[in-house]
Amino acid sequence: MDTVTGTLSAPVLSKPVKPVNRKWKHLRENAPFLLMILPAVVVVFLFCYLPIYGVLIAFQDFMPGDPILSKDTIWVGFENFSRFFNDPQFWPLMKNTFLICIFGFVIGFPLPIIISLTLNALKSKKVGKTLQTIFTAPHFISLVVLVGMLSLFFGSGGLLASIARHFGGEYESLFLKDSAFRPLYILSSNWQDFGWSAVIYIAALSNVDPQQHEAAILDGATRFQRVIHVDLPAIMPMISVMLIMSIGGLMGVGYEKALLMQTDANLSVSELVSTYVYKRGLTGVPDQAYASAIGLFNSVINVVLLIIANTTSKKFSENSLW
Amino acid sequence: MAEVILKDLKKVYDNKVTAVHDVNLHIKDKEFIVLVGPSGCGKSTTLRMVAGLEEISDGELYIDGRLVNEVAPKDRDIAMVFQNYALYPHMTVYDNMAFALKLRKVSKADIDKKVREVAEILDITQYLSRKPKALSGGQRQRVAIGRAMVRDPKVFLMDEPLSNLDAKLRNQMRAEIIKLRSRINTTFMYVTHDQTEAMTLGDRIVIMKDGFVNQIGTPQEVFNKPVNLFVAGFIGMPVMNFFDRCKLLLEGGKYYAEIRGVKFELDEFQQKALKKNGVEPCDIVAGIRPQHVTVGEGKLSATIEVSEMMGSEYNIHARCGEDEVVMLIPTVDLTTDVSMGKTVSFTTKPGLIQLFDKATGNNLIWFDADSMANNAPVCKSYE
Repeated sequence: MDTVTGTLSAPVLSKPVKPVNRKWKHLRENAPFLLMILPAVVVVFLFCYLPIYGVLIAFQDFMPGDPILSKDTIWVGFENFSRFFNDPQFWPLMKNTFLICIFGFVIGFPLPIIISLTLNALKSKKVGKTLQTIFTAPHFISLVVLVGMLSLFFGSGGLLASIARHFGGEYESLFLKDSAFRPLYILSSNWQDFGWSAVIYIAALSNVDPQQHEAAILDGATRFQRVIHVDLPAIMPMISVMLIMSIGGLMGVGYEKALLMQTDANLSVSELVSTYVYKRGLTGVPDQAYASAIGLFNSVINVVLLIIANTTSKKFSENSLW
Repeated sequence: MAEVILKDLKKVYDNKVTAVHDVNLHIKDKEFIVLVGPSGCGKSTTLRMVAGLEEISDGELYIDGRLVNEVAPKDRDIAMVFQNYALYPHMTVYDNMAFALKLRKVSKADIDKKVREVAEILDITQYLSRKPKALSGGQRQRVAIGRAMVRDPKVFLMDEPLSNLDAKLRNQMRAEIIKLRSRINTTFMYVTHDQTEAMTLGDRIVIMKDGFVNQIGTPQEVFNKPVNLFVAGFIGMPVMNFFDRCKLLLEGGKYYAEIRGVKFELDEFQQKALKKNGVEPCDIVAGIRPQHVTVGEGKLSATIEVSEMMGSEYNIHARCGEDEVVMLIPTVDLTTDVSMGKTVSFTTKPGLIQLFDKATGNNLIWFDADSMANNAPVCKSYE
């Protein structure tokens, strides 16, 4: 074996490099994006997180005008909650809210999916766009106008009443029938929002690779089979996310429309948790601590539902919010 | 296995743009034909018309003797491999391959047998239970080919199937396709913009530009006998050297090519062909392939601008007046100084010079109007 001889020169030592803090580097690199998201973070903090501070009054004997936290604050623990559980209105309220929400969900969740898949499968894109515009337009009608329209159609002086009278029949306003409240509420809500809700699925469908459709055509798939085997799986992650969010907000029905449609005749079915919170918290002799406790209870139910839906989805479909 | 005949096939879109002009092509049974050309030349549109994915505006398409213009894609007995695989992401590899057979109501046992048989051929048996996202690009492309193979189609259509792969994998898959072709022995129509793929895979190559077929021929034919400037410039790597402002001279009954003042007496074959074609002396563009340039001798000279060491050879980019010349010099017996700024002399065998009419761009020897697949327009440029 040859021996290699020679002198080894000392390595040239450069100036020691100061270790760069990776977190700072990362922050610096992403500064423009962080700045872009900052306004949204501020808005969410101000209007969603900061008011959470107010839920403290659910655990207090609170009178309007009192500071939320002071040395005179009277803490009552879960008393307001137990008052609600023992309230004779508790079960009717829960039942009314649940039924409105669940029926609304059963009809309203699949409808935009079906509509988006149908619009996407239409051969004429022009017809598709026109229908989409027609379907989306009702979303921009205000609730007051919408309920006004319902009254014009189904009220005692409305279109149906006129037709019935014209033919010598009798007509009772649907606003005065408690059995008509839920169908009227749910169907009108879905009519107003299905086109708008379909937009997100239509956007997701626009990302489907056209070559997948062509491959399916060559495989011999019919138009319907292509919807089932190409389009539907493509929007499945979006459906999962929307499903989780819908379940998470299942009990979060608003009070505005129910109040607008509410009459003495349909009160037994139109009184919801949200309308009850509004009435107890802001009308008559306000009992804000009690109303806060009811609202907080309702929110807790939504959070639990959200966690259950997310966990289930994660387990079975690989899609989840977190 | 079937022959495919394209007769005056034309595609005009709704906006009146003609994408394909009267393509005539007779693909023989079990032939591997490659459609090649730059982007927008109409090669994919032609393939898609054969597949039934594009409506045929005019002309006739026959597959296995049957006129299929109005036949649905699924009933044409063809299979297609797409550029980006077009695998169903929610299905496993097995289900992707079995899908077409399921739709045709083939029995489960037969589907299983066929899928496993094809998976064995393509060496993807171990991936049958995986979903496409868990596969590499090359594996996905094999699945896409397998999906087409399970149907035993009469014609195999491939639309740039290797474009999404990196260079190394592309070379591998190209070899795989050659092996596959010998195994399944069916008619292939293959679209690519890569002339290397076209040259290595095709029995015949169809070179298209602007919706027109410019030349149809074997790889040797299109390389050695390009009919016009475009074909000459498109086929071959490095690209053919073109010398502008050249002349075809006729002196004493003999033809000469004058390139930058140097006269080359054309060989016997060229003399006969030019005489037969009745070519008059004219301005020409002379084409010499880099492989046919002899460096270190001759009266032509050029100044080296760039010298690329490619391993086995140097690619020399030199300037010869207004023309750029590429020369290949093997490193094994390098005697020439190839450093930048040096002037080198070069020449070529006169028989290897391609002569293009400056007015029409057509090859004065090889262009034959009758043999052209269609009336391709005058092609004065080689770009």
